[in-house]
Amino acid sequence: MSTFSSLNAATTALWAQRRALDVTGQNIANVNTEGYSRQRVDLQALGGSVVPAFFSTSNGVGSGVSADEVLRIRDAFLEGRGHTEHANSARLTVENETYELVQQAFREPGDTGLQSLLSEMWSGWEDVANQPQDEAARGQVLKRLETLVGGIHFSQASLGSQWTQSREALDVLVADVNAAAASIADLNKAIQRATQSGLPANDLSDQRDLLVMKLADQVGATVRHQDDGVLDVIVGGMTLVAGSTSATFATAGTYTVDGVTADPPRIVTGAGGYTVRAGGTAEGQLNSLTTIIPSYRNALDATAVNLAASLNAAHAAGFDLNGVAGTPLLGSGSPPITAASLTVLITDPKLIAASSVGPTAGVPALDHGNADAIAQLRKSTTGVDAGYRKMIVELGVQAAVAGRNLDIQSVISTQVDAARESVAGVNIDEEMTNMLSFQHAYSAAGRLITAIDETLDKLINGTGIVGR
Amino acid sequence: MRITQRAVALTSLQGLNRNLDAVGKLQQQLTSGRLISQPSDSPTGTNRAMQTRFDQAAVAQQQRNIGDAKSWLAQTDSTLREMLDTTRRVRDLTVQGMNTGATSDTSAQALATEVASLREGLLSLANRNISGRPLFGGVTPGTKAYDATGAYVGQAGPPVTRRVSDTETVRVDTTGPDAFGPAGNDLFAVVDRIATDVLANPTALATHLDDLDAVMKTMLTAVADVGSRAARVDREEQVNADRALTLSSQLAETENIDLPNTIMRLQMQQVGYEAALAATAKALSPTLLDYLR
Repeated sequence: MSTFSSLNAATTALWAQRRALDVTGQNIANVNTEGYSRQRVDLQALGGSVVPAFFSTSNGVGSGVSADEVLRIRDAFLEGRGHTEHANSARLTVENETYELVQQAFREPGDTGLQSLLSEMWSGWEDVANQPQDEAARGQVLKRLETLVGGIHFSQASLGSQWTQSREALDVLVADVNAAAASIADLNKAIQRATQSGLPANDLSDQRDLLVMKLADQVGATVRHQDDGVLDVIVGGMTLVAGSTSATFATAGTYTVDGVTADPPRIVTGAGGYTVRAGGTAEGQLNSLTTIIPSYRNALDATAVNLAASLNAAHAAGFDLNGVAGTPLLGSGSPPITAASLTVLITDPKLIAASSVGPTAGVPALDHGNADAIAQLRKSTTGVDAGYRKMIVELGVQAAVAGRNLDIQSVISTQVDAARESVAGVNIDEEMTNMLSFQHAYSAAGRLITAIDETLDKLINGTGIVGR
Repeated sequence: MRITQRAVALTSLQGLNRNLDAVGKLQQQLTSGRLISQPSDSPTGTNRAMQTRFDQAAVAQQQRNIGDAKSWLAQTDSTLREMLDTTRRVRDLTVQGMNTGATSDTSAQALATEVASLREGLLSLANRNISGRPLFGGVTPGTKAYDATGAYVGQAGPPVTRRVSDTETVRVDTTGPDAFGPAGNDLFAVVDRIATDVLANPTALATHLDDLDAVMKTMLTAVADVGSRAARVDREEQVNADRALTLSSQLAETENIDLPNTIMRLQMQQVGYEAALAATAKALSPTLLDYLR
């Protein structure tokens, strides 16, 4: 135990408290920084020599404090939970948006949707039934039929453009993911070097964790911790970032909505082209592209086919103004009939087969039975109206479920974020208290130096002067 | 548990967003006046609204069908009545003609001429059109039910009907043979024979008078038939109007907002929102800094 060891201890104390104050300052400065994890100086008492030996100079009292390490406080389990919940949230948000847009494409319930166009068309047939001799009545039913077909085209086209937008968004997303993966690999490398050479890498780690959270949102990434503070990023079982190297993803599959069944859009690995089961926003977009939008387009196709089949069959049972049996009303330029290709084949109002009886002795009958029969198709339980209504109600149920799921998930996500924040975030009260205690400790260490100084002064200048 | 300012801020923000979202929804309902603006707002309500609108369209169309049916039946009724009046005059003239002792040749000639011209009038009445179709012509595409010789040129076929409700149709036409007797023995043939026999064979007039009475009976039956059908259509019209009212109030119940209720809810939500804002402002501001010297 040397004479000046207390001075040395006081010096380490001054130094350590100052370091602690610096870190407090850094914490306060970043109280609102996104992704910042609070830091804490790891104070450790410097013990004396504990190795028993001859002439050991240690008297058991330590020789001060060390403040070498600055720790980053973050809970890896909560982070993992955060990744999962963020991915779910992102997926549900995209699905919910898709349903909203699908609902807009159908504009129900209201006076502008397909249902009201259908009703108008059926009413048109009853007008023909009332005035079978009147070409104006016959003409208007053709026009109403064309309006209905136009409405079906419009709905189908707006679903199609929604699909195209989602498909383009998927490409942008994947490019963004690749860029983030490359940045994470670079940061991993820097962190590894810093850790190996004993330098602090806390702020680099914060930056990297922020990027990982972004990847969790976009593709449902999860992490695996490695040595030296390095993180591997894994997406759907495929490794996207391994240490300081990153792989790339790409999109594959059709760019046209009609090719979905043959070649569904998907995310694949850049090398090898293996399909990746992505989560997050990408999963939501893929669900929209391969399931949600195509299912409503198919339902609309089925509506068009049903409409054409029932109208054509009923029309063929009748006879037109010339006494000739009805020809098909609806068809398509290039079979098969779809919602996009449906067209009205008849343009001459005379050709509408309103009569249910054929000509008698060459004179066509001015009957209205078939027009009335066609108008009554609206009541059919397997008809177009019932099928369309069923589809809209199902859409409503699914959209409502998607909205509710998103509500629930956003509560969960916020709670997990708050939990993460409560571990890693900065509490100003706490920092203030820490600041006070470090400040006091600093003053106390200063006072200690003064005390030793006075003691030594007494010893050196105040002793050995007896009789002077 | 450790709580940080940012965690408090995050949860407060979520609560505020939730409140504002509810206020926004109520505001949207109030400004649009509609409870259901897209299917997900209420799938069952959507189904009901769509079904009601569907029924409304049908009821509106049936209202027009009923109007059309009424005009057919009214035309038929008035035409038949006019023809009955004319036929009665023919009957009077026939009775006059039978009284051979009191009728000179000249007056018989006059009788024959009048009967012949009355027959012309009857024919033109029987060919009366409604929007281009002869009333008594069945399903003929032509404009006449009887030609100039009094032969029926209408076309037999399915009856002309109008749909007055989802399940019911009412026949609106009356064919020539139904109204004026079977061909060869119908009104025009009998009147023609009378016109000829007033001069040629007055003794045969008694038989013709019996035939004419039989024809008039047929016409009266037809008038009664048309009348009863008109009554049925009137009844359906009433039912239809009631149904239209019920449907529109049903649609309003399903789709439209309950104004006082929604305004009250908006007020309550606003009070809640303001309270949340005030509480958040109070909770966020203080830190230890406020109390340190």
